Amino acid sequence: MTTLWDTTGTAVVKALAAERRAQGSISSGLALTLVVVAAEGQVVEAEQAATRAAAEHPCRLLLVVRRRPDAPESRLDAEVLIGGRLGPGEAAVLRMYGRLALHAESVVLPLLGPDAPVVTWWFGEPPHLIAHDPLGVLADRRVTDCSLAVDPLAALGQRAADYAPGDTDLSWARTTAWRALCAAAFDSVSVPARAATVTGAAGDPARALVAGWLAACLGIEVALADGGGPGIGAVSIELEDGEIGITQAGRATALLTSTGQPDRTMPLEPRALGDLLAEELRRLDADETYARALGRATGSGDLSGRSDTRTHVWHDPTGSTDPDPALTTT
Amino acid sequence: MTNPLRSPGDRRLPRVPEPCALVVFGVTGDLARKKLIPAVYDLANRGLLPAGFVLLGFARRDWEDGDFEQLARKAAQSGARTEFRASTWERLSEAIKFLPGSFDDADAFDRLAATLIELDASHGTQGNAAFYLSIPPAAFPTVLKQMQRTGMADNASCHAWRRVVVEKPFGHDLPSSRALNDLVDDVFTAQDVFRIDHYLGKETVQNLLALRFANTLFEPIWNSHHVDSVQITMAEDVGIGTRAAFYEQTGAARDVLQNHLLQLLALTAMEEPVGFDAESLRTEKRKVLGALKPPTDFAAHTVRGQYDQGWLAGQRVTSYRAEEGVAADSRTETYAAVRLEVETRRWAGVPFYLRTGKRLPRRVTEIAVLFYRAPVLPFAKTDTEELGANQLVVRVQPDEGVTLRFGSKVPGTTMEVRDVSMDFQYGEAFTEASPEAYERLLLDVLLGDASLFPRNEEVEQSWRVIDPIEQFWAEGGEPETYRAGEWGPKGAEEMLARDGRTWRRP
Repeated sequence: MTTLWDTTGTAVVKALAAERRAQGSISSGLALTLVVVAAEGQVVEAEQAATRAAAEHPCRLLLVVRRRPDAPESRLDAEVLIGGRLGPGEAAVLRMYGRLALHAESVVLPLLGPDAPVVTWWFGEPPHLIAHDPLGVLADRRVTDCSLAVDPLAALGQRAADYAPGDTDLSWARTTAWRALCAAAFDSVSVPARAATVTGAAGDPARALVAGWLAACLGIEVALADGGGPGIGAVSIELEDGEIGITQAGRATALLTSTGQPDRTMPLEPRALGDLLAEELRRLDADETYARALGRATGSGDLSGRSDTRTHVWHDPTGSTDPDPALTTT
Repeated sequence: MTNPLRSPGDRRLPRVPEPCALVVFGVTGDLARKKLIPAVYDLANRGLLPAGFVLLGFARRDWEDGDFEQLARKAAQSGARTEFRASTWERLSEAIKFLPGSFDDADAFDRLAATLIELDASHGTQGNAAFYLSIPPAAFPTVLKQMQRTGMADNASCHAWRRVVVEKPFGHDLPSSRALNDLVDDVFTAQDVFRIDHYLGKETVQNLLALRFANTLFEPIWNSHHVDSVQITMAEDVGIGTRAAFYEQTGAARDVLQNHLLQLLALTAMEEPVGFDAESLRTEKRKVLGALKPPTDFAAHTVRGQYDQGWLAGQRVTSYRAEEGVAADSRTETYAAVRLEVETRRWAGVPFYLRTGKRLPRRVTEIAVLFYRAPVLPFAKTDTEELGANQLVVRVQPDEGVTLRFGSKVPGTTMEVRDVSMDFQYGEAFTEASPEAYERLLLDVLLGDASLFPRNEEVEQSWRVIDPIEQFWAEGGEPETYRAGEWGPKGAEEMLARDGRTWRRP
C-alpha cells in the first residue's frame, strides 16, 4: 500500500504502476473501472460494498471522496493498494479538497482502465442532474441510490426526469428478488391479470418501481398500500380466475399463495449493499426494463427514446442558491 | 400464453425451471452425495429452484423421508459451494422425499409412478419429473423397462414432461452403446435424454465457444494453414482410489478419452454453429466426430501406459498392479495417448494429440493450439534459440483461463527473442460467480436446455474411433509402465518425436 499526501494525479498513476510491479500482477483481467463517489463518513461502508462487488467482477476501483469544495486550498491525498483491504484488484482512494473536488475528473481520467467500461456509483444523495458531475458524464453506466435521498420518491421522480440509457438505481436492484418471485408465480398462469397491489413502506422507491414494473408488463393499474417494511412487504395480483399473493414471512423467506395450488415458502434473503452493486456490474448495457418501470412508476411516460450521451454542464455548488447535494459533501 | 413478466431484455431475473420433481436413482451412492445433492442445495440457495420442487430419492434402503433428509443434509453441509444456511435447508427439507425399493421390484415402480402424481397435489410439481440414473450400467435395462411398463417416462400420457439424465459410461464399445441408446431413446424420446459429461458444464469450455465465435482475432487462423498441431491433455495426480472394480474393466481410453477428450476435441475443431441452440451445436460436434479418422498405424499412433510405483507430490505411491482390487498381471491402461486426424478441409494434415493419465505430476486439463513457426526469421540463429511455436492454450482446469505464448525481445543490447506468456485468468477474475459444473448441468436439465449434453450419435461416433484402438491393444502385449509422478511413458514422447514435435508441459 502506498499513501500519498498532498499529491498530484500523475503521482497516483505512477504509484499504481509501481504497486503493480511490486505485486508481480498484471492488469490483463481488468474488465471495468468502478468509480465510487462517497462522503468521508461513509467511506468504510462504501469500501465494503465495492470490495464485495469487485470480488465478483475484476475491476479497478477508484473511490472519490469530495471534501469541502469551499475550502480555500485545493489538495489531493491518495492511497493506492493492490490485493488488500479493497479486494483482489487495483484500488485507489482519492480524497479531494477545495476547488479540486469540482474537477475530480482531472484526477480520475488518467486512472481509468484503457478502453474498459466505466461505472460510476454515487453512495449518497444522487446528483440532481448527472450532467453536473463530470464523473457521471464520463461513465458508461451510472448507478444512483434514491433510498439515501432526503426525499426518496422525489429523487426517483428526478431520476426519471434526468434519465439517460445506462442509468440505474439500486432501488431497482432491491426489487429483483421480488420480481423473480412474481415472475415465477406467473409461470403457471394462463389468464390475464385484472389488478394488483404492492404493500410496503410509504415512500419506498423500490415499492414504486415494482408497482411500475407490474403496471407496465401487465397493462393494469397497480395500487400502493402502506404497511410492513422496511422495503416491500407484499405483492398481490388479482387474476381473472384467482389470486396470487407473495408475502414476506420472516427474515429470509416469502410465502407464495396461489388459488388452487398448495402454499409455498420461497427464499427471500435480505441482500447486502455489495451484492446489489455486484448485480449492477453484471450488465453494462442499458436496462430497458428499468426504464419502463421507472417511466410508469413516476408517470414520466416512455423514457426509451432518450439520448444516451450527456454533456457536462458546469455547476458551482458553492456559489449557487441551489447546491447539488452530490457535489457538496463535507 | 407466454409469461408477461418475463422478457428477454430483463436479464436480472434468474432462469428458474418449471415446477418439477428430481428423482434420483442410487441416491446413496458417491456421486449423489458428493455432487448431486450439494448441487441441488446450491441451486436452492441461489433461488434457482421452482416453487413446486421435490427431490425424491430412490434406493434399496429401509428408510423414511427423515433418514434421507439426514443424509442429504450431511452431503449438502460438506459438499455445497455456497454457504450452508439453516433457513434454506429448512425450506428444502420439506421437499425431500424418499421411496424405498430395489430396481427389480415392480411394486416399487408402481408406487413411484403414483407418488409422482401425488406430488402435484401436495407440492405442486405439475407432474413434471427428471430421473437421474446414478446407477451401475448393468442396472440400466431393468430400471428403464420398469419405467416403460409404468408409463412414467411418457410425456403424453403423463401430461407433463419427463426427462432422464444418464451418467457415463455410455456403454463400453459401439454395439453396447448403441443398444443402450436404443433402449433409452425408446423409453424416453431422444430430446428428453440428457447425457452428462461434466466437462461441458465448466465455464471455460463454454468460454472456448465465446473465444472462437465471438471474436474475429482467432477464427481466421483456426485452420491447417496456421495451426501446426493441437494437444489436448487431461492429467490427474490421483490413482484409481476405490474404483478398482470399475477401472479394471474400463481403462483410461474408455474412461476419459472416449468422452471428455473427444468432446473437447469436437468443440475445438467444429465449424461455427448456425445458432447456440442444442440442435445446431450438436450437429456441428457430430460432424467433427464423424470426420475423425482412427489411426492408420496403431503401433505408431497410440500409446498406453500403466503407472508403476513412484513418488508423487512428496509421497510414496504404489504401482497400479499393487492397488487393492487390481489383478497382479492387470493389462488395464492408466495412461492413453493417441494421434488423431480430422478429415475436413479446415483440419486436413493437422494432428490432434490427445492424452490422459492417472498419477501424473499434477491435475490439469488444457487444450493447446500450436501454430507454425515463422518460415523465415530475420534474426541471427542464436538470437531465436529460445523461441518456440506460438501457442494458444485454453486452460480448462485448474486456473481456468487462456494463455497466449509468443516471442518477445529480451531487454538488453542484444537482439534475443524468447517466449513470453500473456495470461487471461478466468478463474481468478470471476471465481465467485462460477457455478459448479453439476449445478449448471442440473439446472439445464430442469430447464430442458440440451446444448451442453452430447447426443446419442456423438457417443456412437466416439466409440467408432475408440473401438479399433481398444481392439489393437487387446490383441497385443502389455502396456508400457511409467513411474508414478512423471509425465507418462517413454512411448508417448517417442510418438511425438517421430513427428518432430514434443509434448507441451502443462
